[in-house]
Amino acid sequence: MRMVGAKVPRVEDRRILTGRGHYVDDLQLPRMLHAAFLRSPIAHGRVTHLDVEAARAAPGVHAVYTGADMRELSKPIRSPLSQGAVPEVYPLVTDTVRFVGDLVAMVVADSRYTAEDAVGMIDVEYADLPVVMDYEAALDPSVPPLFADLDSNVVHTATKESGDVDAAFAAADRIIEVTLSQHRIANVPIETRGLVADYDAGSGELTVHAATQSPQGLRLQLAQTLDQPMDRLRVLTQDVGGAFGLKGNIFREDFCVPIASRQLGRPVKWIEDRNEHLMASGHAREERIAARVAVTEAGDILGLTAALDLDMGAYPGMPFSAASFTGVIALLLPGPYKVRGYRCDTRVVATNKSTYVAYRGPWAMETFTRERLIDMVAAELGLDPAEVRRRNLLEGADEDRLITGPTVRGITTRECLDRALERIDYPAFRTEQEAARAEGRYLGIGMAAFIENAPGPKEMRPGGGFTGGESAKVRLEMDGALTVITAQSPHGQGHETTLAQLAADEMGVPFDSVRVVHGDTRLTPFNIIGTGGSRAATWGSGAVMVSTRKLREKVLAIAAGQLEIDPSDLQIVDGVVSPKGVPGKEIPLARLAGQMTLMPQTAPPGTDPNLMAEERFTGEETTGSGWSGGVHACIVEVDLGTGGVEIKRWVVVEDCGRIINPAIVDGQIRGGVAQGIGSVLYERIPYDSEGTFLAGTFMDYLLPTSAEIPPIEIVHIESPDDDGVGFRGVGEGGMIVAPATLTNAISDALAPFGARVTEQYLPPAEVLRLAGVVGAGAA
Amino acid sequence: MKPAEFEHHAVDSVEEAVGLLTELADDDVKVLAGGQSLVPLLALRLASVGHLVDVNGVTELATIADGDGLAIGATVRHRQVERSPEVAAANPLLAAAVRRIGHAAIRNRGTIGGTVAHADPAAELPAVLTLLDGSVEVRGTGGGRTIAAADLFDGYFTTTLEPEELLTAVHVPALPAGTGWAVQQFSRRSGDYGIVTVLATLALDGDGRISAARVAYAGVDAVPLRSPVAETALVGQTASAELWTAVGHDAAVVLEPASDLNGSAEYRRHLAATLTARALQQASERAGVRA
Ligand SMILES: Cc1cc2nc3c(=O)[nH]c(=O)nc-3n(C[C@H](O)[C@H](O)[C@H](O)COP(=O)(O)OP(=O)(O)OC[C@H]3O[C@@H](n4cnc5c(N)ncnc54)[C@H](O)[C@@H]3O)c2cc1C
Repeated sequence: MRMVGAKVPRVEDRRILTGRGHYVDDLQLPRMLHAAFLRSPIAHGRVTHLDVEAARAAPGVHAVYTGADMRELSKPIRSPLSQGAVPEVYPLVTDTVRFVGDLVAMVVADSRYTAEDAVGMIDVEYADLPVVMDYEAALDPSVPPLFADLDSNVVHTATKESGDVDAAFAAADRIIEVTLSQHRIANVPIETRGLVADYDAGSGELTVHAATQSPQGLRLQLAQTLDQPMDRLRVLTQDVGGAFGLKGNIFREDFCVPIASRQLGRPVKWIEDRNEHLMASGHAREERIAARVAVTEAGDILGLTAALDLDMGAYPGMPFSAASFTGVIALLLPGPYKVRGYRCDTRVVATNKSTYVAYRGPWAMETFTRERLIDMVAAELGLDPAEVRRRNLLEGADEDRLITGPTVRGITTRECLDRALERIDYPAFRTEQEAARAEGRYLGIGMAAFIENAPGPKEMRPGGGFTGGESAKVRLEMDGALTVITAQSPHGQGHETTLAQLAADEMGVPFDSVRVVHGDTRLTPFNIIGTGGSRAATWGSGAVMVSTRKLREKVLAIAAGQLEIDPSDLQIVDGVVSPKGVPGKEIPLARLAGQMTLMPQTAPPGTDPNLMAEERFTGEETTGSGWSGGVHACIVEVDLGTGGVEIKRWVVVEDCGRIINPAIVDGQIRGGVAQGIGSVLYERIPYDSEGTFLAGTFMDYLLPTSAEIPPIEIVHIESPDDDGVGFRGVGEGGMIVAPATLTNAISDALAPFGARVTEQYLPPAEVLRLAGVVGAGAA
Repeated sequence: MKPAEFEHHAVDSVEEAVGLLTELADDDVKVLAGGQSLVPLLALRLASVGHLVDVNGVTELATIADGDGLAIGATVRHRQVERSPEVAAANPLLAAAVRRIGHAAIRNRGTIGGTVAHADPAAELPAVLTLLDGSVEVRGTGGGRTIAAADLFDGYFTTTLEPEELLTAVHVPALPAGTGWAVQQFSRRSGDYGIVTVLATLALDGDGRISAARVAYAGVDAVPLRSPVAETALVGQTASAELWTAVGHDAAVVLEPASDLNGSAEYRRHLAATLTARALQQASERAGVRA
C-alpha cells in the first residue's frame, strides 16, 4: 500500500499522549543545578547600583553572574544573518535595561526555589530613562537611540517598487487611503523555552539540550559567541511542545546557561516559567501599513502604495532580524492580483519592548492589509467583495507574475475562491443576512485569499535557495530497518510520520520499519533553519526522497549483481527485493543488509556495500507553481448587547500541492485558524504608556481554547505536480489568512453602522465601539 | 514561579485549624483550601506566607446539609455543589452559578469556603449569597459566629473574617417554589471569570404582576452588589420585554465599575444593562404563577 496520501496515524502520538515524550524539563542529570534570572521591572533605565553579595552568600547558591561577569565570559552576540543596524549586545545587560523582563543577573543554585529566593536578595537600583513605546516616539529624531552605538531607533529602511506607480494613480477614478494595523501578539507554545547545558570538564565537550527549532543553528551561534570548538559542541533536541517560530530564535538566556555550566563544571537547567515567557520570550507582529489604493469605478485595482512600520522591540532577533520579514511583506503584499504600479517603503523601529520574533506566517500583515483593503474598496465602490476579487485575480497563466516579480504559473486562487463561496453558499447567505438585519441581528461574511512561496517558483530559489537546498541521511540497518536522519527539527509537525511515509514508499519497505531520527547535531545534516518557514514539505521531503532513491539504487545494484540480472528488472516490495514477475528469487533486505555489513568483501564487483546515502535536494527538478495558498471564508454573528462575536461557519479551501498525510495537513490548518481567531478576538500583548507589561499570566493573555474554535470545514485542491516532490508547505497558511477572513466578516456584520475596521484586534468592547453602541473610550 | 519557603500544616479538625491560626497569628499564617487562588499567588510571589493550615483533610467540613436552606461545608468542592441533587432541588440558581466557575478541573479542587473567603469581586458565589441574603459560619478560638452576606464583603478581596477565624460553612436559602431565576454572564472565553455577572429571581402573582424580585451583580464593583433600583422598579409591574430593557438600563447607569483590559466602565455598564434585561426575561419564563 502506498503510504503517501494516506491518513497514517502519527507515530508521535502514542508517546506524547501517554506522557512518555522527552522534553527538556524531563531531563534530570546528576549534579544538575538550576538557574533563575533577575529581570528588569522597568522598561528603560540605567542600572545605578547592583549588589549580588547577599545572593552569592545564600545557602545553596553556587554562582551569581552580573552583566560585567558575562561580558568577560562571552563575545558580543552577533548573528551571521542579521540585517540593518545591529548594536553590541551581551548575554546580560551591561549598564542599561531596555524592556520589562530584560536580563540583569543570573543565579545558579541547588534548586529553582533556592535560585528564585536568591534573585530576591539581589539589591538593584535603576535610574529611569525616557521610554520609547510607540512608532511616533521611535521615529522622532530628537529621541535618543536605545543603543548608544546606533544612530537612530530606525534600524532598517528599504523600498520596493515595481510597475509604473504614477501612471497607475493618474489613471485612477478614485484613491482610497487608510492605515491598517496589527497588534502585538505572542506565539505562546505550551512548552516554554528551556535548556540544560552540560559541560564535561574532562573532554571539554559542551552538550546543550534545548527546546529549539534549529539545533544546528543554535550550535553554530553558541560556538561563535562562546568560543567553543564545534567538534566539542553538541545540541540535542527531542520532543518540543510547540514553537510556532519562537524557538527558531536564539536568545540571550541560551548563552548564559552554557556559560554557567562551563564555569561551574556541572549541568545547569533553566526552564522558563510562564510569567517570564509572556513577558520576555519575544513577541510577534505589531506592524502598521499606511496604504493608498488606486481604483477604477468598475473595481479594477490599478495601483498600491504602502508605508510599512514594524515595531521590533529593543533587541534584534537572532538569527533573523525583523528586517528579513519586512522584505517578505513587501514582496507578497500585492498578492495574486493584477496591480500595475506598486511601491512599498518599509521601516523597522526599536522600542522598549520584548524582541520581535517570527510567528507562524511572520509576514501575514501583507494578507491582512491586502484583503482588508479589497473589502474596503468594494464597500467604497458599492461592489461585491467577491466580484472585486474575481475581477483582479491573476489566473495562474504561464506568463502571469506577481507585480513584484515571481511567476505564479499554476496557482489556483480563483478556483479556491469559487469553491469556498460555493461551499458556504454565498448567495443564500446574503439573503439570510438581509432577513436577519431586518430583525436586528447582525450577520457578516468574510473571505480572504493568500499565497505563500513554500517553496516558491524555481526562479526564486536557484541552487536550492538561501540554504542551498537540504540533505538527509538514510541507512539500511542489518535487520532491514531503515533509519532516516533528517535536518528538520519537528516540534508538532509530525515529521516522524510524514518522512517515514515518504521513505517507506521510495524504498519499498513497510512503514513500521522506518525510523526517523532528528535533533542530534552529531548525526543530522546542517540546516540553519531546522524546521520553520513551511520548508519541511518540500525541502525535508525532497531530501529524504532523493537520499532514499540513492540508497535504493545501491541496494538494487547489489541484488542485481547477486542475481545476475539488470537492476531495472528488480523491485522492492515490503522489504523484499525480487525480480519482477519471477517468484522464488526473493532477497529480503535484512539478509542483504546483514551480509553487506558483516561481510562487505562479498559485495558484487562495482557495487557499494556501504548501505548509506546522503544526498542534497536542491529542487532544480521541480517545475510546479511552488505556491501554497487558498481562500478562507467565515460567517459570524455579532451580539450588540455584549460585543460578542459568534463564528457560525468556517470554510477552508487550500492547495498545498500533493498531500502526504491529510490528517496532518488538516491539523496544521485547524491549528493555524485557531491562532488566527485568537489574534483577532482574544490575544494582545499589553504594555502601558510607561512600558509596564500588563499580561503576567494567562488571566490577562487570553488564548482561545477548543470551546472558542468552531468546526472548520476543509476542502483540498491538489494542484498537479510533475516530478514527485510536489509537496508544498502548509503549516503557516491558516494563521496567515484567518485574521483577514475574520476581520472582514466582522466588518461586514457591522456594515449597517458604517464601521471602518482598521485594527486587527476586535475584542467585544471594540466591536461595540465600531458599532457606535459605546463610546470611544470603551475599548 | 516557585513560592518562597513556608511550613505546611495538615489538620484533621476545626479545633486544630483554629488553634494553629491563633498560635501562628503573628507569623503570616493562612488557610489552604482548594489552592486554586492561593497557590498561584504564592507561586508568582505576589503573596508569601510563613505557614499554611491545610483544611482539606477536615472531613466535618466536606458535607452538604439540606434543611432550612442549604448548609454547605467550607471544603465542599464546587463540583460537588454542581452535581448535588439536594442543591438542584433546593436552589437551582446556586447550581447554575457554580457551573460558571472556571473549568471542570478548577471546580474539582476549588472549595465553597475558599471562594467566599477569597472574595473576588467577579466571583459567582459571593454574588449568590448577596442575592439571596445568605450567610456564613465562622469559628475562632473563642467560639463561632454567623455573618450575614450583607456584612461579609468588605472591599476587593476582603471580608470581615478575622485572620484567626476559619470559615466553616456557607448558608444558602432555598428558592421559594415558583420563583423564577437566572444566571447571566458574559466572559471573553468559556470558563473565564465573568466580566459582568447578573443574578436574578422573580416571582409573579396570578395576574402576571411581579410580586418579588431580586437582582445582584458581580464584576461591577469591589464587592457583589444588590440592585435596589431594579428591585423597586420591578415589584408591582407587569412582566414585559420593555420593562426588562428599561430596568436593565436604569439599574446599569447607577453602577460605577472599574476599567481594565477587558473594557471600560462604560462597556461594563452596557453589559450590565444587556444582561439584566436577559436575566429578567429568563427568570420570568421560569417563574411559575402561584395561585
Ligand atoms: C483558571 C481559573 C479560573 C477561575 N475562574 C473562576 C470563576 O470564574 N469564578 C470564580 O468564582 N472563581 C474562579 N476561580 C477561582 C476558584 O473558584 C477558586 O477555587 C476559589 O476562588 C478559591 O477557592 P479555593 O478552595 O481554591 O481556595 P484557596 O485558593 O485555597 O484559598 C483562597 C483564599 O481563601 C482563604 N480561605 C480558603 N478557605 C478558607 C476558609 N475555610 N476559611 C478562611 N479562609 C479560607 C485562603 O487563605 C486564601 O486566602 C478560578 C481559578 C482559576 C485557577
